[in-house]
Amino acid sequence: MLKVHVANGKILRIETDDGNAPQLRACLRGRAYRQRVYSADRLQYPMKRTGERGEGKFERTSWDEAQDTIAKELVRIRDTYGNASIMYIPGAGSQAALHGAQAVERLLAKFGGYTRFWGVPSFEGALFASMASYGTMMTGNDREDLLNSKLIIMWGWNPAVTIWDTGTIPTLIKAKEKGVRIVCIDPRLTESVAVLGNEWIPIRPSTDAAMLIAMAYVMIERKLQDQKFLDTYTVGFDRFRDYVMGTEDNISKTPAWAEAITGVPQATIERLALEYATTKPAALIPGWGPARMSLGEQFSRAAIVLACMTGNVGIEGGYAGGFMRAFHSREMGMPRGIRNPVEVGSSYRPNSLYKLRGAGHPTAARVHAVKIHDAILQGKAGGYPCDPKMAYIVASSYPNSYPNINKAIAALKSLEFVVVHEQRMTPGAKFADVLLPVNTFMEREDVISPWLGSPYLLHMDKAIDSIYECKTDRDICDELATRLGITDYREGHIDEEWLKLIAEASGDVQDYDEFKKKGVLKLKKERPFVAFREQIDDPNNNPFPTFSGKAEIYSEHIAEMNNPMLPPAPKYIPAPEGYGDPLSQKYPLQLMSTHHKPATHSSLEKVPWLEEVEPRRLWVNAVDAKARGISDGDEVLVFNDRGKILMKTKVTERIMPGVVNLCQGGWFDISEDGIDLGACANTLVTDEHSPGGAWSTNTVLVEVKKA
Amino acid sequence: MQLGFYIDQSRCIGCHTCAVACKDWHDIPAGAVNWRRVVTIEKGQYPAVFVAFLSLSCLHCAEPACMSVCPIDAIEKRECDGIVVVNQEACLGKDACGVCQEACPWGMPQFGTEPDAKMQKCHFCIDRWSERRKPICVEACPVWALDAGPLDELESRHGVLREVDGLKYDERNRPSVIFKAREPELLKLPPS
Repeated sequence: MLKVHVANGKILRIETDDGNAPQLRACLRGRAYRQRVYSADRLQYPMKRTGERGEGKFERTSWDEAQDTIAKELVRIRDTYGNASIMYIPGAGSQAALHGAQAVERLLAKFGGYTRFWGVPSFEGALFASMASYGTMMTGNDREDLLNSKLIIMWGWNPAVTIWDTGTIPTLIKAKEKGVRIVCIDPRLTESVAVLGNEWIPIRPSTDAAMLIAMAYVMIERKLQDQKFLDTYTVGFDRFRDYVMGTEDNISKTPAWAEAITGVPQATIERLALEYATTKPAALIPGWGPARMSLGEQFSRAAIVLACMTGNVGIEGGYAGGFMRAFHSREMGMPRGIRNPVEVGSSYRPNSLYKLRGAGHPTAARVHAVKIHDAILQGKAGGYPCDPKMAYIVASSYPNSYPNINKAIAALKSLEFVVVHEQRMTPGAKFADVLLPVNTFMEREDVISPWLGSPYLLHMDKAIDSIYECKTDRDICDELATRLGITDYREGHIDEEWLKLIAEASGDVQDYDEFKKKGVLKLKKERPFVAFREQIDDPNNNPFPTFSGKAEIYSEHIAEMNNPMLPPAPKYIPAPEGYGDPLSQKYPLQLMSTHHKPATHSSLEKVPWLEEVEPRRLWVNAVDAKARGISDGDEVLVFNDRGKILMKTKVTERIMPGVVNLCQGGWFDISEDGIDLGACANTLVTDEHSPGGAWSTNTVLVEVKKA
Repeated sequence: MQLGFYIDQSRCIGCHTCAVACKDWHDIPAGAVNWRRVVTIEKGQYPAVFVAFLSLSCLHCAEPACMSVCPIDAIEKRECDGIVVVNQEACLGKDACGVCQEACPWGMPQFGTEPDAKMQKCHFCIDRWSERRKPICVEACPVWALDAGPLDELESRHGVLREVDGLKYDERNRPSVIFKAREPELLKLPPS
């Protein structure tokens, strides 16, 4: 929560919640936001391209001319190639209910449709697993319920940096101070491990599923699984057990088997398995990061199976895993607009959980997000559902936050028309033909609920008027709508009325004026939200929202897909570009691109107060550095077949040998000889995805050499 | 009365929110001057590694060396609350003097990069304190790892630990700060 001091229309200072407990204290990113609002690279007026696309040369134009050009191009492209050739690329630049990317989505739907993507970078592996196993994404418990755990296993989860709703880290600290044991499994000794960990277990990226499966082996061998729970609430455990014990494939998934894959000593695997099986309640929290790999859903599904085997689902102090939204404050947003006409009547996407409600977007009319560039370059001839001719980019850092930057650049250059709504001159903005300046959330009014479901809602008052010639995405689209002959873009209400309707529709806001005045509504509840409490307490009357009505360790829906890389019960499968891939002969280091302490993806780059907190460095273990003659702070070349980055190193004991880390979000800056000087990890990341849709962010092989 | 800080290293996640909030509140640009800074302490060898963070500002010492070396008495320790303040108008500046920075064991007196920069440092958010509000860093900390107030009250609440990884107690200056330490449990590998 931010409290903004304003005088004479200018932001002076920012404070945070100093009111009643629980205080929603902002992190460093919010505290530095004044410098982002007034940053030197804020876009001030509409611009049109003068140089080559991507060169970043523009001249000022009027709103009228800019809007006329966009309207003319939209009509030309629709009439020439059809609506599907309009590639709509939204991003998460605004998470609030009213403003942001959806303004354009509603416009394009009314214009006859567009092609968009599926596959969210953050969580698609966890989402697939959550849906396939539990039939829902509402699988988390309240933060304060962590105080009821006796053991917390943080698996690839770093909320000290990623926040995971304000209040998560303070609660974990309280749990630790209360004496709850916390074990952290992570290739890096992160800030969360440093503060919370009673034990750090480093593990090779992309191998987490193998360790989980070996833990299952230990439990089954010693008959420690909660068989009553499995019999009552789950289906398919026998199939999973046959795989684990080797009945299916003659390979016993022992701790020794897993040690060779994961690098975790077998004694450690065995000890953790016994501890998790015999300490109740225990919360195994599978972060989204380990699932951001080329077979990511296997990790998330395996973690769910362990939660079931230990009977930690639906009880206080336990944790079900999965997507982990704790759903008591309802999500707020505009009512659904008209369905995208391009998607109406399309067939289902292969490997999609199309029979389940809310399981992503199963239409075959969409392109996976990491495949946008490939779809632009290859079109229908490459098996994609459309031949993209223009890109409409809004609240998005495309292509900076998308893998394989060099391919993305080629794709953007090949399009007939690119329009970008942006706040600052980002690497993506430089690819616009028409570039429109958008205001920040401090210059408009909105409402928001925390996306993981913590119990509060915020009214985001307007602190200052829009600076320069900036506008909201909605104002821009309303003006475009008029030019496109679309009437009633705002659907009968001005923005202020929409905000009241949206807030009241949440069911939690009884008095909107009071909510607006206070800025925050902290919800009270009688007992902590625990996912599946009802299913466990009274299974006969409360089935899981799956086909079987039970948690599905084995999924018939997945079995029907008949895809060996997407087994119906979770398995460890060596991941493409993961540990042990033959490509590691050429590129022996596993690259991860995790979140950066002073960043939110790429959106807070070049904010001086944040930049000085921690520069982007390639983390290299001392052993790997020594083998390459690299010292701390040296400039190195990080490279693979997709690209090259020139940057400085941090030689550290805090990362596993064989693994390097470069936090994602740096603004790419490709030199004339093809080297990225901006430390954008996506220069190296593969544009492949898992069958379930996970981005392969943490399954990337590279080599590093002294520059 | 002596005001001081309490710093709970066992809670500090090294997020720098205190430092950023300080810069915003006091309108200090990114760069050389950091009234509050956060350091990372790393010890040990993979996989037995200890990592902790320490957020530090001027510690408003009982016997501040900066004050005793200042040739023109531009640094004052307020009698009412022990806050160490600098009279910038009197300060000779970095180019002519700068001895206070060298005298402080932690280099807390600081100078900007402008010509003839005057000394500046944490003044305990004197502006806020006069309104009975705690320093901005304390109210910013997302994990409640910082506190500020009369040192005797802090001691009765949090104990008297005077040093911690990243800060060695200095008998001569006697900094007005107490700590809670991060246990070095990650340095001990479990038996296998």
